[in-house]
Amino acid sequence: MSDKNRETANVGAGLWKGVGMWAWLFHRVSGLVLVLYLFAHIAVISQARLRGAAGFDTLFKTLESPFFVILDLALIAAVLYHGLNGVRVLLFDLGVGIRQHKSLWWAAVAGGVASLAVFAVISFTFIAQG
Amino acid sequence: MRRDVIETHAGGMWLWLLQRVTAVVLVVGLAVHLIVLHAFNLGDLSYDNVAARVASWFFAAVDLSLLGAGLFHALNGTRMVLLDYGFTGSNRRVLAAVLWVVGVVSFAYGTWALWPWLTA
Repeated sequence: MSDKNRETANVGAGLWKGVGMWAWLFHRVSGLVLVLYLFAHIAVISQARLRGAAGFDTLFKTLESPFFVILDLALIAAVLYHGLNGVRVLLFDLGVGIRQHKSLWWAAVAGGVASLAVFAVISFTFIAQG
Repeated sequence: MRRDVIETHAGGMWLWLLQRVTAVVLVVGLAVHLIVLHAFNLGDLSYDNVAARVASWFFAAVDLSLLGAGLFHALNGTRMVLLDYGFTGSNRRVLAAVLWVVGVVSFAYGTWALWPWLTA
C-alpha cells in the first residue's frame, strides 16, 4: 500500500472497519449513559428520605410499570456491555490478550447478550404477570 | 518532553489506578446488586424491602461502596471524556476541582438519603 493510500484508508469508513473503534465508542457512549443514570438513581432513591415510606412505595409502583421495566432492561444492556468490555480493558492493562483483542470483544458481546437474555426473560415474565 | 505533555500525565497515574480499582468494585458489587434486586426481589421492592436488606452489614457495605466507587468512576470517566475535548493547563485543574466537589457532595447526599435505613 502506498503512503497516500495508507493515509486515506485510515479515515472515514476505513477507520470503522475494525472492531476496536466500535468497542471504544460503545464503551464511551454506554459510560456517559451510566453517568446520567447514576445521578437519576441517587435522585430517585433519595425520595425515601424526602417523601418517607409511603411516598417512596407509590413512586416504586410507577417504576414497576412496563415502560420503566423495559428502560431498566436497556440499562442492564449498558451495564453489561460497559462491565464486560471494561474487564477486557483491564486484561489489556495487565498485558493479557492484546493480540486476541477482537475475539475477546466478541466474547464480551456474546457474554453480554446471553446475560441480557436471562434478564429479558425475568423482565417479560414480570410484565406478563402484571 | 514538552512541559504540557508531562502536565497532561502529571497526577494521572493514581487516578488511572483508582479507575481500575473502582471498576473491579463495580463489576463485583453490581453483579450482587443487580442479581439480588432485579432477579430475586423484582416486584417486591419497597421501603421495607430495602430496610430489611440494608439491615445486614453486608448489603449496607455493598450499597455504600457502590455509591462511592460509582461516583468516582463516573466522574473520573466524565473527566477522561472531557480531556479529549480541549481541557488543558489550569482548565484541567478547575475541571478536576469541580468534579471532586460534585462527587463529595453527591456521596454526602447519598449517605444522608440512606441514613434512616442504615440506622433503623
